[in-house]
Amino acid sequence: MKISYNWLKKYIDLDPVEHSPELLAEVLPLLGFDVEEYEKSGPPQLENVVVGQVLEYIQHPDADRLRCCKVSTGNEGEFHDIVCGAKNFEQGDKVLVALPGAVLPGDFKIKAAQLRGQPSAGMLCSAKELLIGQDHDGIMVLDPQTDLGLSLNELFVEADTVFNLEITPNRVDVLSHIGVARELSAKFGLPVKYPKVLASAEYCSSANPLISSVQVDVPKICPAYSAICIKGVKVGPSPTWLKDVIEGVGLRSINNVVDVTNFVLHETCQPLHAFDAAKIKGGKLVVRMAREGEKINTLDAVERTLSAEMALIADAERPLALAGLMGSLDSEVDYNTTDLVLEGAYFTPSSIRLTSRKLGLSSDSSYRFERGVDPQGVVPALFRAIDLILEVAGGVVDGDMIQVGSMPNSEVEVMLQPERVRSFIGFDVSDQEIQSVLESLGLRVCIQEQAGSTVCWAVSIPSYREDLKRDVDLIEEFIRIYGTDKIPESEVAACGISLNDHRIYTVNESLANYFTGQDFNEAFLYSLRDPEETEFFFGPSSHEVLALKNPLQSDQSHLRPSLVPGLLDVLQLNTARATGATRFFERGHVYREVNAEMVELHSVAFVIVADQVGRTWRRREVADFYTAKNICGEALEIAGTSANKLIFNPIAKSSLWQVGHAAEAGDFMKMGFEVTCGLLNFSVLKERWDLSTPIIAGSILMTPKFFERAVKRSRHSSISNQPASFKDLALIVDHSVFAGDVEKKIASFAKKTVKGFDCEDVHVFDIYYGEGLPDGKKSIALSMSFRASDRTLKDKEVSIAFDAIQKLITEKTDYQIRK
Amino acid sequence: MHEELNIIVTGVREHCPEISTRAEFESFKATISGPNGSLTKVMKGMGKVAKEDKPAMGKLINDTKAAVITEFDAVLERLERADLASKIGPPIDPTLPVPDCKRGTLHPISQVREEMVDLFRRIGFSVAEATELETEHYCFDALNIPSDHPARDMQDSYYLPDQLTVSNVSKHSDEKYLLRTHTSTVQIRTMLKEKPPIRIVAPGRCFRRDTPDATHSANFHQIEGLYINKGVTLLDLKATLDYFVKSIFGPKAKTRLRPSFFPFTEPSFEMDFFSPDLGKLSNKWLEIMGCGMVDPEVFKSVGIDPEVYTGYAFGMGIERIAMILQGVDDIRYYYQNDLRFLKQFA
Repeated sequence: MKISYNWLKKYIDLDPVEHSPELLAEVLPLLGFDVEEYEKSGPPQLENVVVGQVLEYIQHPDADRLRCCKVSTGNEGEFHDIVCGAKNFEQGDKVLVALPGAVLPGDFKIKAAQLRGQPSAGMLCSAKELLIGQDHDGIMVLDPQTDLGLSLNELFVEADTVFNLEITPNRVDVLSHIGVARELSAKFGLPVKYPKVLASAEYCSSANPLISSVQVDVPKICPAYSAICIKGVKVGPSPTWLKDVIEGVGLRSINNVVDVTNFVLHETCQPLHAFDAAKIKGGKLVVRMAREGEKINTLDAVERTLSAEMALIADAERPLALAGLMGSLDSEVDYNTTDLVLEGAYFTPSSIRLTSRKLGLSSDSSYRFERGVDPQGVVPALFRAIDLILEVAGGVVDGDMIQVGSMPNSEVEVMLQPERVRSFIGFDVSDQEIQSVLESLGLRVCIQEQAGSTVCWAVSIPSYREDLKRDVDLIEEFIRIYGTDKIPESEVAACGISLNDHRIYTVNESLANYFTGQDFNEAFLYSLRDPEETEFFFGPSSHEVLALKNPLQSDQSHLRPSLVPGLLDVLQLNTARATGATRFFERGHVYREVNAEMVELHSVAFVIVADQVGRTWRRREVADFYTAKNICGEALEIAGTSANKLIFNPIAKSSLWQVGHAAEAGDFMKMGFEVTCGLLNFSVLKERWDLSTPIIAGSILMTPKFFERAVKRSRHSSISNQPASFKDLALIVDHSVFAGDVEKKIASFAKKTVKGFDCEDVHVFDIYYGEGLPDGKKSIALSMSFRASDRTLKDKEVSIAFDAIQKLITEKTDYQIRK
Repeated sequence: MHEELNIIVTGVREHCPEISTRAEFESFKATISGPNGSLTKVMKGMGKVAKEDKPAMGKLINDTKAAVITEFDAVLERLERADLASKIGPPIDPTLPVPDCKRGTLHPISQVREEMVDLFRRIGFSVAEATELETEHYCFDALNIPSDHPARDMQDSYYLPDQLTVSNVSKHSDEKYLLRTHTSTVQIRTMLKEKPPIRIVAPGRCFRRDTPDATHSANFHQIEGLYINKGVTLLDLKATLDYFVKSIFGPKAKTRLRPSFFPFTEPSFEMDFFSPDLGKLSNKWLEIMGCGMVDPEVFKSVGIDPEVYTGYAFGMGIERIAMILQGVDDIRYYYQNDLRFLKQFA
């Protein structure tokens, strides 16, 4: 909102030095009204610069480029000798003269002096020297009609500073010059000078009223409506003072009547509306809801189609104004208008907000109505407007003011204990300090003596401060005016708190440490993804469930079900820019469809360019599925679940993963987590991301609940000091048999057969295909270790156990023991 | 006999330098000191030596043995050296680059988030988490944001379709789901779950329906702070935030609390800070967070008695602070993940 410094000065005596515009720009933000910007306009005010006339001049006897002038400044018989270097003037020209004593911009003091032996008592000025314009080619030559002796300050409109203030939605009262003046009055301790409003009775005559009545059909939306008729106005351009102030705050001057309503709005925060009485048909105004599809041509020359929840002001035939928003061209006040109906009304904020939003139309009026104007201020503003209309457009008030309904009473009392203020702010202030701050804001403090207990005040709130309802609201007012800069600095009073950090956070911290330790760079990606991609990788039901209701961009319409596609975007960008990046990870939330519902999950995922050696002087191992499996396992351990018993199953069908080279484990719905890892689908990588090198990836999903599981405390169990015995076993099995299954089976056989000591480990240590083996077969070599807790095992007992295991293998499986 | 011993020693001395493997050495050693070795044979012949000659012969044999052992040890040492040399390869070039994995970098936003969280942890805050999907109740109503508040406009928030259910995000009644627009939702969820005293920070991702530009991003991150206890004051709020600002921006940073308005705090402030050491941003007031004392209405919505407890809350954008600290002038750089950008913060 724009506030003019000069306009403000009508309501508060701001000292140009003590309360300079620059100071206001610092003070207003600390009162809660942030200054987005402020702009100075007009030339600076300068003393001793006046309009003069060059009576005659002669060439300076000792300087080719100087003229010696005799200049009059209006006093009969008096003239000034001034030496001037410019040549763009003639005898008789009117010019601006800086007389001795003047101080021009740049702290340039004018004194009487001698110039090359000739006396010079002043200076003829260029536009630039006075900061009026850029012209410095010669002195400023004025219109011959300009009055001689007029001071510069009278000649040019007073310089102004316009502040663009950001007013928070709770402070509608400050959306006006008086409102801002009230705040400054509280801060500076200066009184507010309210404009004098003439008594309403003086106006009222009892001739033929222009309208017979106002009918309010919707008292809920319009609890009170007042109208006054004015006859015989002369609509025309506004006088300069009005035009200047209106334009000064960035409005367009329309005509004297409309400008007055705008002036009052920016003065008092009360939106008023003037109708051309001649255009009201049927002699009465009706406040009613619009009919569905009803049309109105608003003043911005747009035909708007209304709906039934919008209120309007109408005559017998048609809508004349959108209540609280904007008038229509049909009832516009123009240069032919002679009679006016002036409206002052209170509309409920929510109805105006609704209409404004539905129509996508906002005006200075609706902006204030939807925040709630002061109900008690409506009628005074109406009278203020009448004063001004009669002053600038003439006319007489016709008939009594028509009033329908009554203004909601918004004067309230709030109870406040000064002790509560102190305990809330945490430092000491006296009752008097609190009281005087509240009173400076126009609140009335009534001290209620309470027998033997804490002092309590009843604070009366003026109607324009509807935002003050509770004691905390008053505490805010106190601290705002008292000054937040006076809150003392202090030490943080830290004490222990019983809550643990949420495990999601601590696990994520550890995951990040792990991944960065493995040369992964962390990436941050958007949570919203492309719809086609979602459908392609996750199917139509995900596409349906993960869609936003109101996306902003068509390629960011779906919540991401996986972090992997985003990480591929990162690899693509880095590959295209040849940054040499090969490993990225991301931590973040993802979303999945389960039985047509959505679930939110935590995820960590990574991608690795498999052959990352490229051009290094020594090759290291190429990443493959097992690299990814290991990383996923480690990550799961960090997340608090044991990964070594996790069963991975190959992925049978996928558009994201390369079948035969990727596997998955877990189930987030049943176990709280899920892992997928391996090689990504070659053809899809090429098609969608233009990546033609193998990429290994892994993705872990975890439910929020997964992090809430109680973490088991580990318990000690005794370990044997005895030596272990080892046996190796090679089995020939079908190609399709999984080593993990073989391992598990042998372990179970061992468990069955070994008595009196333990088979503590069975693990695969070699896989062999090819020569020496039949087609379709592979050899799996396992190492088994045996140990007793109390003795060194004898070869014989181990052999017996090993034979028994082999016997079971022969009997129970089709594995062939390789001798 | 003397002659024989001389021949053995000479033979050993001649042959040993030619031995190049351990196997060769063992088989040669067998020909000298093995059961049928030449030296063994001579030693077996000692029995036939005349008694008076025995001491001299014994000495001679011992000398020979010692000479042979010396030769053998030298061979062994030479072989071991060669073996080791072949194991460790040629000498290194210390200037060659490391071919192995190094350390990756934490994303610059993560770095700043961790730094911020750690500063608050140090003064007794613990970290809280909640979901990014939320409902209007937890995102707005419970925070005293009225239903016709502009922030609730469909224009400003991403909503989920009306009929959709999010199985792991609880609703209050039948309000709509949306992507949280601020981390203040975590305040509400935490206050409903825990009893005061509560002192939490909640870092997390938020979403606003903004057209992306240098300072706006479809998603961004905030840190929310909340402290509720008996007797928490405005003075405490200022002390905490002053500590935070001076810790993160340096001791020369100045702060100010500029009165403002938020529905969930009363009084409400914007905190600005001013620092001489921020390059282009030096010596001007920069807005960094919103804060205030928890509004009694918020306490009522979560069943905490505002007559007993008071509290403060604050919230700030992590990207905003990161951009100031790291001198980044376009938020979109953070979401491109160009390695060269990321490595600047390694």
